[in-house]
Amino acid sequence: MIRRVWKEDYKIIGFYTGRVTIGVGLLMIIPMMTSVVFREWAPVLDFAISMVLTLLVGYVLCVISRTRSTPGLTHAMAIAAGSWLIAMMLSGVPYMLSGHMKSFLDACFDTMSGFTTTGMYLIQDLDHVSQGLNMWRHLLTFVGGQGIVVLALTFLISSTGGAFKIMAGEGKEEKLEPNVRHIAVQIWRISIVYLAIGTAALAVVGMFEGIKPLQALFHGAYIFMSAWSTGGFAPYSQNILYYHSFPMEMVSIVFCILGSYNFALHYAVWTGNRKEMFRNIEIVSFCITVFTTFSLLAVALMQRGIYSDAVAFFRRAFFQLMSGHTTTGQQTIYSRTFVQEWGPFGMLAVTIAMAIGASAASTGGGFKGLRMGQVFKGVVNDVKKLLSPERAVVTTHYHHIHDNVVTDGVVKSAAVIIVLYVLIYLIGTLVGMAYGIPFHEALFESVSAGSNTGLSCGVTSASMPALLKVVYILQMWLGRLEFLSVFSLFGFIATGFRSMRRARAAV
Amino acid sequence: MKKIGIVTALLLMILVLQAPRIALGLESPVLSTEELVEHSLTWDGETVAFEGEVLQDVMVRESGTWLNISDGNNTAMGVFIPVGTAVPAIEHTETYRTGGDVVRVTGVFHRACSQHQGETDIHVASLTVLVPGSDRSNPIHPLRFAWLAGLALLLALAVRVYYRKRPPTS
Repeated sequence: MIRRVWKEDYKIIGFYTGRVTIGVGLLMIIPMMTSVVFREWAPVLDFAISMVLTLLVGYVLCVISRTRSTPGLTHAMAIAAGSWLIAMMLSGVPYMLSGHMKSFLDACFDTMSGFTTTGMYLIQDLDHVSQGLNMWRHLLTFVGGQGIVVLALTFLISSTGGAFKIMAGEGKEEKLEPNVRHIAVQIWRISIVYLAIGTAALAVVGMFEGIKPLQALFHGAYIFMSAWSTGGFAPYSQNILYYHSFPMEMVSIVFCILGSYNFALHYAVWTGNRKEMFRNIEIVSFCITVFTTFSLLAVALMQRGIYSDAVAFFRRAFFQLMSGHTTTGQQTIYSRTFVQEWGPFGMLAVTIAMAIGASAASTGGGFKGLRMGQVFKGVVNDVKKLLSPERAVVTTHYHHIHDNVVTDGVVKSAAVIIVLYVLIYLIGTLVGMAYGIPFHEALFESVSAGSNTGLSCGVTSASMPALLKVVYILQMWLGRLEFLSVFSLFGFIATGFRSMRRARAAV
Repeated sequence: MKKIGIVTALLLMILVLQAPRIALGLESPVLSTEELVEHSLTWDGETVAFEGEVLQDVMVRESGTWLNISDGNNTAMGVFIPVGTAVPAIEHTETYRTGGDVVRVTGVFHRACSQHQGETDIHVASLTVLVPGSDRSNPIHPLRFAWLAGLALLLALAVRVYYRKRPPTS
């Protein structure tokens, strides 16, 4: 039986959503200061307005829903999903004020794409946006990768009761430490250390490749944030192709791969458990699926004879495949090259890689390697049972931080999430096809949105139908939060309406 | 004799009038990024012309210089100037406050350049600055100050209410 929704429930959701919104508002200081550094006065004013508006919404939510109650699991899920929705809309304000968006829907598309680390964009004239707005675009993806709730937990939510549930609601369910705030701090510590290393490495490469030092520093920060958060944004419309640099691509892809790994794995390695790198089921699963999809892609591209040597093949084919598999979405080829040169078979290999995606509790999207491994082990377990005597007790294990037993429950949960991902991939494909987009292009773009990858074969543009934009936004949101939080929010709203109807009927 | 003279004069006149058109016909076609990428097989290895604004970073390397030229809304092409190619200096490149030089380049288009490990690029043979870059105006709308002031006032009120009122115990 589904419980009734009381006023206090709304208060809990409103209060914590307000706190997260305040966090988003405070974050706008960074792009504002970037614009100050580059003397971009119009964007400074735009960010000031957006920040004040966001803080206002956050404080009003906190005032009207003031409570000391701690959130339960249902609240937590609704808070996570609701916070992302409100953050999407308010973060779109600076985009709108910049004059680079055709509509508010387009602005919401870009901010949802940023927060969910997807990397698709509808922004107009990207090659002429201010440094402030570029910083905001990349910051959204960096913060979105770690989780906006994780950010709020670290700085703003003093009570940790129920906080872990909110964090789990946005896909960070790994319990690195017993204290939830410590987990949030650990996630940020890992990310900030990598931010410093990555920005420095990419800035040095940029300077060696002929970019001026200050520019190289900012480009380094942007590309690092894009790679580590598996976001895929870049400051120019040519994406990574802009740099014409093999070293830049190599450094970037290393951070894409690192960003696609589970935070628990990073933490284990940081705390001295280096063997975990070679035993973890997600790493094993990742290696197998990379090998398989790369083999498919190699066959497809060799048939077409596009790339003349191994280095060219590596820089285009392997980079794109890894970019897809880690759900980053950085590109070293033009979007339409997928269609015109790679063809349906080559695109299919990348589509499969994107659909599988990165690791659980990472910054990446897709089914996740952990679930692929669990389902595979489940199948192995069933086959072993069939081949064993009836009385034999058959158990299969997988290693993820600890040794775990493959149970029916684990396999079922993993399979359900995989089925849900397949469902959203198919819905996006069907809507695309309804607008006349060829099947392989519609599938590629839909999987890219649903798995939060961001590679595009040219379908995503400001001129695409509004319904398709909405479908892609929903795919990005559902894919990033892994369904349950969003379903909880919808369930909460539906139950709320039913409670209201019952109350009226009783009167 | 007089007739021959008139015919010759007429032919010469026609030739003079048509000369620019003939010259244009022999010139490389000016193509867009979209055309080059969509029909990359057609233009692969051909000499093409490309026009657009020079984006921010002029990347000087050992074997030559890389430019990125924007020819529209979110479309740009990488252009490589090999060492030894005589080109005029690029005085302005694109920034938020400056429009870059608008240039016209002529060179060989590669759909997957063998020298640059599969890049889609143009190797420049000649470059002309069509329009020098200049300052861009990014006006500040005065009405936005009013919006900021109004919202800031409301925010101050909300913050005051939030911190003055003690939360009820659950």
